[in-house]
Amino acid sequence: MMKAKNQIALFFVILLAGCKAGGDNPGTEYAPNMYHAVSYETQSTIVNPEIGTTVSTRVDGKGEYYSVNAYNPAGSARLPVKGTIKRRYYPANVKMADSVKRDLMIYNIHRDSIDLAARVLANPLALNDQILEDGKVLYISYCSACHGENGQGDGKVGAKYKGVPAYNKGRVAQVTGGHIFHTITHGKGRMWPHGSQINPIDRWKIVHYVQTLQKQ
Amino acid sequence: MTDHSIKRTLDLKFVRLLPAIALLLFSLSSATAQDTAQAAPPAEATASAAVAPSADGIPADEAVITSGRALYENNCTQCHAFNEVVVGPALKDAHTRWKLNNMISFIRYPQKYIETSRDKYAQGLYAQYKQYMPNHDFLSEAEVLSLVAYIKAESVKPAAAPDKIAGPPIFPPPTKDSGVSNELVSLIFAILIFVLFVFLVILVFLINILKRFIENKEGVPDDEKALVDQKFDLAAFFKSSFFRTSVTVIALLFISKVAFDSIINIGIQQGYSPKQPIAFSHKLHAGEYQIDCNYCHTGAKKGKAAVIPSANVCMNCHNAIKPESPEIKKIYAAIEKDQPIEWVRIHNLPDHAYFNHAQHVTVGGLECQNCHGQIQEMEVVQQYSPLTMGWCINCHRETAVNAENNAYYDKMVSLHKTVSKQPMKVKDIGGLECAKCHY
Repeated sequence: MMKAKNQIALFFVILLAGCKAGGDNPGTEYAPNMYHAVSYETQSTIVNPEIGTTVSTRVDGKGEYYSVNAYNPAGSARLPVKGTIKRRYYPANVKMADSVKRDLMIYNIHRDSIDLAARVLANPLALNDQILEDGKVLYISYCSACHGENGQGDGKVGAKYKGVPAYNKGRVAQVTGGHIFHTITHGKGRMWPHGSQINPIDRWKIVHYVQTLQKQ
Repeated sequence: MTDHSIKRTLDLKFVRLLPAIALLLFSLSSATAQDTAQAAPPAEATASAAVAPSADGIPADEAVITSGRALYENNCTQCHAFNEVVVGPALKDAHTRWKLNNMISFIRYPQKYIETSRDKYAQGLYAQYKQYMPNHDFLSEAEVLSLVAYIKAESVKPAAAPDKIAGPPIFPPPTKDSGVSNELVSLIFAILIFVLFVFLVILVFLINILKRFIENKEGVPDDEKALVDQKFDLAAFFKSSFFRTSVTVIALLFISKVAFDSIINIGIQQGYSPKQPIAFSHKLHAGEYQIDCNYCHTGAKKGKAAVIPSANVCMNCHNAIKPESPEIKKIYAAIEKDQPIEWVRIHNLPDHAYFNHAQHVTVGGLECQNCHGQIQEMEVVQQYSPLTMGWCINCHRETAVNAENNAYYDKMVSLHKTVSKQPMKVKDIGGLECAKCHY
C-alpha cells in the first residue's frame, strides 16, 4: 500500500518537474491568456504557429501566441512601411546659455560634406560641468570600446578593429566640434555612422567631452 | 536602421563609378598640383641642403627623418606597422616598391591616384585591401618626403625589434577581492575535517581498549560479555520499523518539497535560456571586449524597452571583424533580405504588468546586472531574476529613492522627513500602489 502511494507521489513529482523553466523550455504558465498580449509586444515575435495551441481561442486554429501575419512576416520586429518618409527635421529645442532656443535636430549636411560641417557647425550646448559629466558617461557607453577610456585609440574592440586614432595626436587633435559631430553622425574612414544610436543632443555632449580629450 | 548600411553599399557602388568624375576633378586640380610640385623642390632643397639626397632622391638627413618619425607616429600608426599588415600593408621597404614622386602623390591623394594613374602596383593594392587610404592632403609634399625618409631609414635599420602599434596594454584584469576569504573558508573546513578525523581515530582506539579490558576482566557475567561481543545485524536493522518509518517520512518530505517547488514555479521563467537564432555571446562582447550595454541596447536609458539592436549596430564592427564566421553571415543575410533577425525574447512580463527601463536605469540608477545578473559572463543569456510580483515589491520595499540632484523629488523628500527618520524608500512614494504597474 505504501508502495502504491509512493508511486503516485513520484508520478506527480515527475509531472510537476516539467513546469520549471530552463534551456529552451519557458516553463508552464497558469492562465496563459492573462499573460500574453493580444496586441504585438515589443520585440517578441512568435513565428511558430504551434505555440499555445492548447489555450488557443483563435478562429484560424493557430496557437494563441502566434504573432505574425501575411502582411507582417517579421511580427513586431518590423521595418517602417514602404514609402515612409524619414523624420529628419523634427524639432528639439535646446535652451542656450543666452536663453535663445535653437532647433537642434535640423541637420541636413550631406554625409560627404564633412569639411562643410567642420566649418559651419557650432556646438549649441554651452560647456559646463554637468554637460561634460553627461558627455563622459555617453562617451564611455558609445565610444570607449574602440577609442579607449582616454581617447588614446586603445579600446579593446579598437585593437581588433584596427585603425583607431588617438584624439590628442596629429591632425585628429586639431579637428573642430563640427567635424566630430559629423563623424559621429555619418562615420568617417573606418568608423561607421552612429547617428541611429545617439541623438543629436547627446552627440553634442560627446563632442564637448572629446574636445577635452583632444587637449590632454 | 538597416537602410544606413544599404545606403552605404549603394554609395560604395557609386564610389566605384567615380573615376570619370575624379578625372574631371583631377584635370581641374592638376594645374594647382603641378604648381605645388614645382614649388616644393626648392623648399625641400633648403631643408636638406646640408646632406645631399641619396641616389633615389630620399633625404637621409637626421632632422628630416626625425620630423618624418613624428608625422608617422601621429598619422600612420593607426593603420600601418613596419613588419605586419594592420589595416594597410606593412611599410618595410615600401620606398623600394614605388617611384618617389608616385609614392608622394599616392600618399596625398590615394583614391585619385589609383583611379587616374595607370599604376598597376597601386591598383593591385586597392584590389588586395579593398579600401582607399584616406587623403593626406593636409601634409605638404616636403612633409610626405620626410615621411618616406623615415620609412626608408627604419627599413634599412639592421635587425630592428619587431614593432607593433604603440600603446600601453589596456584594462588590467580585475583584482579579485573575495579570493582571500574563499581560501580562508576552505582552510577552516579542512582543519575541521582533520580534527573530526582525529576524534574518530581516538574513539575507535578507546573502544578497542575498553573491549580488551572487559574481555580480560574476571567476574563479568556471560550475557554482558555477549553484549560486548555482539555483531551489528544489518538485515535486522533494515527490517526494523524504525528504519522503515524514517525512510518513508524522509521520502515524503522530499517529494512534497519538490512538488511544492514545482507548483510555485508555474508561471516563473527564471532560468529560461533558449537557443537564439544567432549564437551571440554576451560573455565575449560585454565581458571580454567590455562593450558597454548601452552601445547596443540604446533604449535602456531612454524608453520602455531596452531594445535589441538592429543589424546596422552589429555592422559598426562586423563590417571588418570576423566576416567569415557563419553566425555573422546570418546578419549579412538578414540585411540582404531586408528582414529583422528573429530573436527569442527571454524576459517576458505578463501583459497586465507595466515595466519601464528608463525609470529604473536613468532615474533609479540601477545597474543592468541588478536584474539581469552577470550578463557579461553568460555565453547564452538566461533569465536571472524570477520577475514575479513578490520580487518587484520586495525591491520597492527595500530600495531607497535616489533623490539626489533630482528636483522632482524635493517636495516628497521634505514631506517624508516630517513623518519618518528612515530614508525615503520606493514604497513611500507609491511604489506599492497597484496602479503603478497594473493599469
